[in-house]
Amino acid sequence: MSPVLRILSRRLGISVIVLIGVSMLIFAIARVIPGDPARIALGPNATDDQVAAIRAEMHLDEPIVAQYGYFVADVLRGDLGESLYTNRRVTTDIAEFLPATLELVIVAGFMMVAIGLPLGILAARHRGRWPDHVVRVLTLLTVSAPSFVWAVILMLLFSFYLPLFPVAGRLNDSYDIARTTGFLTVDTLLAGNFAAFIDALHHLILPAIALALSGIGQAARLTRANMVETYDKPYIEMAQAFGFFPSRIARRYAFKPSLIPSLTIIGLDFAAMLGNAFLVEAVFAWPGLSRYGVAVILRKDLNAIMGTVLVIALTFLVVNIIVDLLIAFLNPRIRHSTRATS
Amino acid sequence: MKKTHLLAAAMTAATALTSPAFTQSVLRLDEVAVGELDPAKASDYADSILMFNVYDTLVLPTQGGPGSEPHLAESWEVDGATYTFNLRDDVSFQSGNPMRAADVVFSLERMQALGQGLSHLFGGVKAEAVDEHTVRFTLDEPYAPFIASLVRLPIVDQTLVEANATEDDPWGEEFLSANAAGTGAYTVSSHNPQDETVMAVSDSYFLPIDDHAPDEVRLRYSLEAATVRTLLAQGEHDIASQWLPPEVIRALAEDGAQLLTESGTGAFYIKLNTARPPLDDVNCRQALAHAFDYGTALQMVAITDDVSSGSASTGAIPVGMFGANPADEVLERDMDAAREYLADCPYAPEDWNLEISWIAEVPLEERFALLMQANFAELGISSSIETLPWALFTERVASPENTPNISQIFVNAVTGDPDTLLYGMYHSSTPGTWQSPEYLDDAEVDAALEAGRRGPGEEEREEAYSNLNDRLMELAPTIYGYDRQSVFAASNRVKVPALSDPEMAFGLDGMGFSFRLMEMVEE
Repeated sequence: MSPVLRILSRRLGISVIVLIGVSMLIFAIARVIPGDPARIALGPNATDDQVAAIRAEMHLDEPIVAQYGYFVADVLRGDLGESLYTNRRVTTDIAEFLPATLELVIVAGFMMVAIGLPLGILAARHRGRWPDHVVRVLTLLTVSAPSFVWAVILMLLFSFYLPLFPVAGRLNDSYDIARTTGFLTVDTLLAGNFAAFIDALHHLILPAIALALSGIGQAARLTRANMVETYDKPYIEMAQAFGFFPSRIARRYAFKPSLIPSLTIIGLDFAAMLGNAFLVEAVFAWPGLSRYGVAVILRKDLNAIMGTVLVIALTFLVVNIIVDLLIAFLNPRIRHSTRATS
Repeated sequence: MKKTHLLAAAMTAATALTSPAFTQSVLRLDEVAVGELDPAKASDYADSILMFNVYDTLVLPTQGGPGSEPHLAESWEVDGATYTFNLRDDVSFQSGNPMRAADVVFSLERMQALGQGLSHLFGGVKAEAVDEHTVRFTLDEPYAPFIASLVRLPIVDQTLVEANATEDDPWGEEFLSANAAGTGAYTVSSHNPQDETVMAVSDSYFLPIDDHAPDEVRLRYSLEAATVRTLLAQGEHDIASQWLPPEVIRALAEDGAQLLTESGTGAFYIKLNTARPPLDDVNCRQALAHAFDYGTALQMVAITDDVSSGSASTGAIPVGMFGANPADEVLERDMDAAREYLADCPYAPEDWNLEISWIAEVPLEERFALLMQANFAELGISSSIETLPWALFTERVASPENTPNISQIFVNAVTGDPDTLLYGMYHSSTPGTWQSPEYLDDAEVDAALEAGRRGPGEEEREEAYSNLNDRLMELAPTIYGYDRQSVFAASNRVKVPALSDPEMAFGLDGMGFSFRLMEMVEE
């Protein structure tokens, strides 16, 4: 078996164990949040009989181990139950809300890579000079303020004072686009409506920037730090002594080895954005899974909490596997080793 | 600088290119909670807005005054505990099916079977279809507010629901959670509980709809205050929810927004746990009730010089309801009286440490907790402030020992009748709910509440509630903070007579948002 396949099979095995562990942990934690989910779901005017009926239906009066058994049996049938928040199947909610968050996070992740890495390279190449100072100040600024602060600032600047971008939602109300994939940038193109595609992109820009800014700063700072360290290595000195162009040294000899730790952090950041996006989604009225997740936690909607956490955990694991494979691909020591130790 | 202008011009052009002009009038509003489309499960404000527009009821509250008027019903007769309604014969559901007495019976039975929302209002009620357009309700016992309660019985299309029911879902819950089956003035075009519900005006409504009523309505959910403010400023929103912070509503008003109001159905109640010392003694409670600074409380909820989220309380019953005291007999702080009552209180004030709770989801209550702490400190009473999430609060109040000394709650009459406001709050048979952390147990109060239910006429009810009001003021189980008024910031593109003209007001939460009675205007 090749080292890459070995890494993949090992990661998949660990992922299954992690998913089971997460499901057990969240199942237990969700049940110790204060409040009776049936009472919360039925509202303040519900009678005790009505509450008791819902509790019986949800098996809430049975031991927690038995409740977990019912949950696992349902999950294996592909049934995550009904959300008490939306009164719909949790799978329906996830299918509707996950693409919105994924689309936002993918664009933000793309920004993180496309802006953060070049900024880091620029700062490292000009270490100690003004481009380095500018990049360091800017990245410190983006890292030190959380996403929701950027969301509000960007909205105020570019929607309120300068009405250049839409304030809320994913698409102008007047477009009626069939939801095929749930990714509106894709669905608008599938519908052949280019104006709607531009509108979907237009709606994506501000929330994606707000979500990506912190990651851009982090990626730039990490890339800079790793490249500065690499620049001190003897083989870089040797390349310089041979008279290679600085741009070639940066691209081929300094950047590539520095990318591996940056990639690991970018991968973690990307996955973490799935959960952290909720405040950006709230500010821009983005109907995504993160916002849904927070809403269901506040209402102690047990089925929806489990469904949301499992989906986010699963996405986290998939992203990490992809990052591990990328690192294996980039790192010849792993790619060509007979034992995958990564 | 030129480049900046060029960029701005390019982006503005892009915005214009990607924002096609609307060809029909669109009303956009928001609510904090997800709207429940199934009318049998409707309970909160967003649900009510949907229900009152997509469905109809047999009666409607009278605009500008008390009582009910025929709506889907043409008339009714009352004989003891039996109510017979003659239905209109010109009403069709949005599906095209005619509305019949059988649909009314089905709607009641469906609500009772699901046991959610406000189904508790119809616990002891049976219905039968006498003929195609006559329906008879029989109550277990006389209940004078029954007619008023019918504003919470939306009539659903039995034929359509049964066609979409399954063996596992005999009442068509899944179908009605995403689709409409009513006779209402608006149909549901789409429903996304995380985002918005889109409604379109019905072309088959049984009453005339003004040409200026919105063609389309977009009810958005869970928008942030900053988002609402920006949307309103950009002309992309029309009516903000009542839950915006007062300072945001004030800022919007200063920017030119109109302020719409809805009042007369509820109040802000500061509830005293009468089952635990020291507030198990009436003199101790009266001391607190007289020390509370009602004037400052009202200033705290003022939005502009003219509009406030509250009006001065006159007693246990909000002004405008049966049994309320006249509007000019407002409650005021009286520290001398407070000291006199405290002197008769058997518990020494220096031994008190009152737990003043506030609901974590309602930040305004923290300010009232601080106000009370300061007010009571002037009597030498110490207190501690406790934050309780709603879910934890509802658990705590289930037993008198765990119920805080002081709880703060906003309560509304869900049918506009004082029975739905006061019975659950003060009758000794209903202690330990979120409405009744007072644990009041008083025979006179029980008798007055039961007399208010029995009726039979409005005069008897008025007298019963007036007696109840007096008795509650003697017992002081609650500090009556202020009568609540909901305030909505709105653009000037919409006229809402039911929320701006007292003569057109319904006296029922959410009914003012009947879109067919609104007018969209060119600015």
